Amino acid sequence: MNTVLQFENIVRGYKKTENVLNGVSFRMGPGEILGLLGRNGAGKTTLIRIAMGMLYPASGRVSVFGHSPTLDPVAVKSRIGYVAEDQVLPPGATLRELTAFHASLFRNWDAALERELTERFALRPADKIKNLSKGQARQAALICALCHRPELLILDEPAGGLDPAARREFLEASIQLLNREGTAILFSSHHMSDVERLGGRVVLLDGGRVLLDEELDNLRDDVCVALAPSAAGNLKLEALPGYLRSRHAQDGWHGVFRGEPAEVSRRIQTALGSNNIQCSRVPLEELFVEMVGGRQ
Amino acid sequence: MQLFVNPAGELSIYRQIMRQITEAIASRRLQPGDKLPSHRDLAEQLVIAPLTVKKAYDELEASGYIETQRGRGTFVSSSVPPPPSGDQQLRDAARNLLSIALLSGGGMPEAVQALHQVEQEMRNARSERGA
Repeated sequence: MNTVLQFENIVRGYKKTENVLNGVSFRMGPGEILGLLGRNGAGKTTLIRIAMGMLYPASGRVSVFGHSPTLDPVAVKSRIGYVAEDQVLPPGATLRELTAFHASLFRNWDAALERELTERFALRPADKIKNLSKGQARQAALICALCHRPELLILDEPAGGLDPAARREFLEASIQLLNREGTAILFSSHHMSDVERLGGRVVLLDGGRVLLDEELDNLRDDVCVALAPSAAGNLKLEALPGYLRSRHAQDGWHGVFRGEPAEVSRRIQTALGSNNIQCSRVPLEELFVEMVGGRQ
Repeated sequence: MQLFVNPAGELSIYRQIMRQITEAIASRRLQPGDKLPSHRDLAEQLVIAPLTVKKAYDELEASGYIETQRGRGTFVSSSVPPPPSGDQQLRDAARNLLSIALLSGGGMPEAVQALHQVEQEMRNARSERGA
């Protein structure tokens, strides 16, 4: 299978003493949807900037369509669409000027798609950027990222700061795009329900590394969370098959395990000799909290 | 047929879709030969990834509930097979139903009453459909 994007052992920090990314590796194939998750400061934006050639890794290798984004930026950027978390668009320009500028940069700019998206988002080409709402500005940035028909779309926190209705509209546009184009999408998000809707694969960054890299459906079907009343014997629990992660919360011990809830809770009950165990499959939001949430 | 997905539900989205379609077939709101929306249309309607709908359709097709006819679309199968391990599933669901009835201070009569109510709802949905 062709590789669209590949990170190999990426290391990068901003201070000498501490790395934000400490050996991150994964790859994406054509048409793949990948949700990049992690707490604030986990390095999602850093990793995305490295893919865009905006930052150098301290060590490791990144390639996009087989090219280095820093050595071969034109070959890479002509095939990527990118919307940054805090996209800065020229405030004094009109929408028409903004898209005309982008159209002049790309040989394969699709003017029909530009008109269609402008209409769907109900944007007015004569409006100045500075007069757009946050949601409209995000839509304008999306048009600029899409109309050269990229093979890889990179969205850094696309829903950040948008109200639920604007988020849903953005999501609807993305789904229609997936339907028509089969573009590969790498997106970072804190909105787990959006991640569930877009589906595909989930990469969870924590402590500078990839903590999970798995199809969303597998995570939902094959992973469960167990609640045990006390911390007693939790070393024993960490040795059980399927153990992934655990933490102590106010209501007791929380453990994440791979396996059927009934099977996992039977194992824990045998190990602890207690039958006060609850075990269930959980939505992504709960799984996120259990995997990277506070460890007391 | 109206489908509904809840991204924060206990089941993954493709399983939610599978369950709602099998329920609609069981209650005959969907009947053999009925046409389902294309996976792309359903994806846009529900605002979920097309691949997720495709996965649900593929699994339903593998179990024999629906069939794809090339160039024509996806239809409810003319003969719907009984679910595999149907007895076991039935007992699991019964255990769940009875537990809830007992926990809410009732028992067998309440569980049976709930069953009658659900059956009536299914009957109504079927007659609304005009079938």
